[in-house]
Amino acid sequence: MAKFKLKSSIYLFLVPSLAIITVFFIIPAILTFLIGLTDMDWTFKWHWIGLKNFEAMIKEKWMTKIFNNTLFYVFTTLSFFNVGMALIVSLLTHHIHEKIGTAIRAIWLLPRITPSTVYALLWLWASRPEETSLFNWIFTSLGYEPKAWLLEQPWLIVILVNGFVGTSFGMIIFTAALKSIPVDYLRAAIVDGASTWQLIRHVELPLIRWPIMFVTAYQTLSLLTSYEYILLVTDGGPGFYTTEVLALYSYHQAFKAYGGVTRFGYGAALATILVIIGLAMSVLYWKMFKMKELMLEPRIEVD
Amino acid sequence: MRRRGQISTMAIVFLIVGIIIGAVIGYFLKPTPVGVVSEEEYNRLLAENEQLKKKVEELTKQLEEAGPGAPTEITITVWAIGPDPPSEYRYKNFEIAAERLNKMLETMGINLKVKVTGEFFVRPVEWEEYRKKFYLAFKAGEAPDIYLTGHEDIAYLAENNYIIPLDDYIEEYWDTVYYDIIPTLWDACRYKEKTWAVPQDAEVRPLYFRKDVLRKLGWSEEEIAEFPEKIERGEVTLDDILEIAKEAVDKGYVERGLIHRVKEGYDYLQFYLAYGGRLWDPATGKMVFTKSAWRKTLDWFYRAVHEYKVILPTQFSGDWDKDFHEPATKGKALFISGGSWHKGEWIKKGLLSEDEFWKVMGYALHPAGEPGRKPVTLSHPLVYTITAQASERGKADIAFMLITLVTDPHLNAIHAIESAHLAILYSEISDSRYTQDKFLQDVAYMLDYTTFIPSHPQWSEYSRAVFNVLRAVETGDMNVDQAYDTLLSQLQSALGDELLVED
Repeated sequence: MAKFKLKSSIYLFLVPSLAIITVFFIIPAILTFLIGLTDMDWTFKWHWIGLKNFEAMIKEKWMTKIFNNTLFYVFTTLSFFNVGMALIVSLLTHHIHEKIGTAIRAIWLLPRITPSTVYALLWLWASRPEETSLFNWIFTSLGYEPKAWLLEQPWLIVILVNGFVGTSFGMIIFTAALKSIPVDYLRAAIVDGASTWQLIRHVELPLIRWPIMFVTAYQTLSLLTSYEYILLVTDGGPGFYTTEVLALYSYHQAFKAYGGVTRFGYGAALATILVIIGLAMSVLYWKMFKMKELMLEPRIEVD
Repeated sequence: MRRRGQISTMAIVFLIVGIIIGAVIGYFLKPTPVGVVSEEEYNRLLAENEQLKKKVEELTKQLEEAGPGAPTEITITVWAIGPDPPSEYRYKNFEIAAERLNKMLETMGINLKVKVTGEFFVRPVEWEEYRKKFYLAFKAGEAPDIYLTGHEDIAYLAENNYIIPLDDYIEEYWDTVYYDIIPTLWDACRYKEKTWAVPQDAEVRPLYFRKDVLRKLGWSEEEIAEFPEKIERGEVTLDDILEIAKEAVDKGYVERGLIHRVKEGYDYLQFYLAYGGRLWDPATGKMVFTKSAWRKTLDWFYRAVHEYKVILPTQFSGDWDKDFHEPATKGKALFISGGSWHKGEWIKKGLLSEDEFWKVMGYALHPAGEPGRKPVTLSHPLVYTITAQASERGKADIAFMLITLVTDPHLNAIHAIESAHLAILYSEISDSRYTQDKFLQDVAYMLDYTTFIPSHPQWSEYSRAVFNVLRAVETGDMNVDQAYDTLLSQLQSALGDELLVED
């Protein structure tokens, strides 16, 4: 009886989150899939066309390119910035004077709190091909030829633009995790003669293993569906789908048409694929990082 | 226990007393049934009567407040777009027309007033967002009564019942003004044997050229003056343009030999037309892919960027001000593939004065692709439509009357002159203001060489595919063969039977 009560109260506590997931994920995902089976446009008519959108997707020659772009974008931004740079910044700022560390972290938050259009415009100005643009001014004063950055290095710019925004999330989580490491461990290591590097490598990093895994998983999914800055900076160009990722392609198909007539149905079909990839990645990370262990009840009881 | 029994007894007593009192009151208050009308019916009529009484009181009060003889007001909503700010008369003319109409009504002692509300959209709202706003407003039941749009939208709007056919209205008012509209413009308003819109303006897209740069290249004034005529006669081809532009770039007189628009649009389709390409087959109503013309067009753009280096590979990822208006007006580009409205925009924006414009800027048709072909330009007439929702609101008649009033040689001439668009009425061409505008007079002949954008519900797909491959060619992402194959396969898969492929 007591067990039954416990179980039912567990479900009761789960109701709010289940309701939120149902309303904001499951229902929209089903709707997206259903719209993907139509050729809906601005008239919002449910005209069923079966799997034609998915067939068209497979037939499109440039889908492979867009798919590869997505993988490249997600994993490069993730490893260099959202996890890599976040870790470097939090470790460095953790090991210097606290006030200076906090100030540096605050600066890293600036891209995140700047309105995205303003932030993107700043990058557009900085990377313009004229000699007077910021990047070219730095570049030419170092003795190099000026570059048309967005044309020659579109990926570099796209990854930097996203990376500088993405770093802050991991940085905050990692810093919090580092601060929660009991100071005794660090003192013990220092007494044993550990260098800063050894301290980081053998004490701190293993202790913030779970936050690193969480940020990796979370940011992969968030990068997979993010396109806002790419849209603002290169709009998928400069050439033929040069920096077009799946999420942006879905947006372009569903909402962008100079002539006015867009393809909601096709855009939704693309979004369905994104949902499937997202779910698959979640399962993969769950297994790979053995996240179940994170959720296990502690082996010792602490009162 | 005993206490509980007492309470129950008391409750029963109260209940019985209550029922008796209720029955007595009910007996006395019960209305006497009248004739055969049931009690229910009687109550309903009574309630209705009360409601009507209230309404009459309300209306009397409103009338008293409004004062004797206050007119009934009818509001007509109009949406129009520039997106260039000088085209504001597309909307403003309605306000002027409403004012005129109200004066007439007042003089005739008719108790009616027409009020115009709505919006004129300018950049940063581009065509795309404007159209999006319309479709969403329509879905929400808040569509304007009069909607200005590009003629190529008519097919989609008509197919999906967004707008109403105007043939009956036009016939009714034919002798008032519509007889005077330049006939080719009506072609742009027709779809499936019905007329769905009234022309608002027309434009041509000239190839502007900097006279000062040509002078530096050693051209005499006569040669410069003759240049547009030579282009018209087909003596100058697109390849010659590449040569001239290259010379100017090589000699360091300009940074860019030729500039064109920086975002998706229709201007660059002129190069395809210049090579004999067709966009639309009027007989079948299908869109057309002329193989030889597309290959030559893509080849021309490839050579222009990568061999002659007269178009920058960054042109399509540029910025309107920095990569179009500035190089055009500051003499950093020799040829400018623009539109007649750009003249208006440059002067209104203060980028060039009227004098400077005439000193440094020349304009011609876009030259023929090859010897033996004709030079071209492209027009995209804008049109006024009446929405289905205006009709539902019972406002279609008044809306059309307003459209008839703005289709006035004088009012339309103001718009034409302010924004450098072309006349739509024969009488407008001889309007005293219009005749004084040298530029508009000068470019009028170009209408003989013009083509319209296809009016097809899937035109968006064609337009998007062209933009994607052209951008790929300019940035060097694709060579001519790859671009050609991609364009053809993309159009074939997207349009299917709606695309005619010809050699």
